[in-house]
Amino acid sequence: MKRSTKRKTMKSLSYILLFFIAIVVAFPFIWLILTSFKTYQEIYSYPIIYLPKSWTVEHYQKISSLDFKSYFFNSVIVGSGTMVFSLLIGIFPAYAFSRYSFRGKGMLLVSVLIFQMFPMIVFLVPIFKFLDWIRLLDTHLGLILAYIPFTTPITIVFLRSFFLSVPKSLEEAALIDGCTRTKAFFRIIFPVTLPGIAAVGVYAFLFAWSELLYSMSLLTSKSLQTIPTFLSVFVGQYQTRWGPLFAGSVFATLPPLVVFIMLQRYFISGLVSGAVKE
Amino acid sequence: MVMPYVLVIIVFVVFLLISNIVMSFTNSKGELTLENYISIFKDNVFYKTILNTSIWVFGSVSGQILLGLCVALLLNQITRGQIFFRSVILILPWATLDIVAGVMWKWMYNDMYGVLNDILVKMGLFKDYIPWLATPKMAMLAVIIANIWKGFCLSGMFFLAGIQTIPQELYEAAEIDGANAFGRFWNVTIPQLKPVLTTTLMLTVIWTINYFPLIYVMTGGGPNYGTETIVTYIYRLSFRFLEYNKAAALSNVLFLLVFTIAYLFTRKMAREVAA
Repeated sequence: MKRSTKRKTMKSLSYILLFFIAIVVAFPFIWLILTSFKTYQEIYSYPIIYLPKSWTVEHYQKISSLDFKSYFFNSVIVGSGTMVFSLLIGIFPAYAFSRYSFRGKGMLLVSVLIFQMFPMIVFLVPIFKFLDWIRLLDTHLGLILAYIPFTTPITIVFLRSFFLSVPKSLEEAALIDGCTRTKAFFRIIFPVTLPGIAAVGVYAFLFAWSELLYSMSLLTSKSLQTIPTFLSVFVGQYQTRWGPLFAGSVFATLPPLVVFIMLQRYFISGLVSGAVKE
Repeated sequence: MVMPYVLVIIVFVVFLLISNIVMSFTNSKGELTLENYISIFKDNVFYKTILNTSIWVFGSVSGQILLGLCVALLLNQITRGQIFFRSVILILPWATLDIVAGVMWKWMYNDMYGVLNDILVKMGLFKDYIPWLATPKMAMLAVIIANIWKGFCLSGMFFLAGIQTIPQELYEAAEIDGANAFGRFWNVTIPQLKPVLTTTLMLTVIWTINYFPLIYVMTGGGPNYGTETIVTYIYRLSFRFLEYNKAAALSNVLFLLVFTIAYLFTRKMAREVAA
């Protein structure tokens, strides 16, 4: 009896604390949304106005007149490209890491992790020169190529943990039935791990979606630039135009937010196996 | 099957590393020289960035780990509403773009029209509005707070994942032995979580050292180099001062630093596994 009441108080206390944390964590984002619907007069009002009195869409109209759509589509192209290439490059090594043992396997896995450890900025100038050399500077493909070394390592580590979670006996049964390795992979492993693969793909997509430094430096043509660059234009040295900046921010954040929430189960399970089984 | 990946590794890593090393040992005329490294070690800003990076990493990482652990423990207590709380607390900051997080906090920190000052004064915590981003010390605190907000969700997810793998029997046994809630936390959760904790600590330290956009957007390294970390200084060297060779040299110094940290961590982990 006493134990169960204790447990109940613990639970209610957890809920109260979580509610408090949730409000604090969500507040900056709610503030961002509210500000995007305020007129400049209300944005720069003293004392502060919390809820916009007259909800305005002028900032949303402003960004649409600045061709936000084209930046959005460029981001979609770069994000999808990065996702597809990372998965294509990562999926087979990840499978190999999870199934075969071969010489230098440990070292390769470590090299995968090591690349994760270097700041992107270190490679910016060399990549810039490299892309210039192969004449892919200022192209979407060039930017995607530049992202690959940063997304594939984590792709491999996560995919490997998903493949490890599939019991070997499943494909062994298929092999005995006369399936080839490749066939067994596509018929058995692939469907089972598809949600995990999707989650990893989304991770790569969002990496490219939100990356600022490379997209800013490697894409110089306006018609090719992505959302982060679009947003950075409103951040001036002396003056920032908060209205359109926040309207664009809302649109930039919503797609990843929705997808992440939908796939959160797989992210967390992927992290479990990734972090625990290493 | 491993070939495509090996090719990527060879082409990118080796090429990039070598070209970076070559750059760091040449001067603007293309001659071989050590002057880039010498000028770094003679540069006072370099020592300042080392100090700033340490503060930035220590503040952000300890905040992220502590908050992440708290949230994971709390989330593990509840059953209903998991998805809601996970979405708001763990997913929202993660899904927010770096640049969006930066401008959002920058606006909240605004000394005149920022909502943070208003709330803090209304709550009676501060008497007067403070210029968050105008002085070096407050600016550092401000970017660290923003970074904790942006990054604690990852350690929270790691910890939540780790906690959920701890066998329930261990808690039951501890309870029978008369351990209270804190005792169970200290003697069961923490030791069981240790591998995940070490991994998370390593990753957050490395990510924080390398994390650039937030500072870049919020303060640009200022005021008066107050929030300039090694990474933002590399950016300033290459894109403001156009000193690519010196930037390459500094990159290699940073490279060595990160590598050493990672090496020490992995050695510690290997020893723990062996023990």
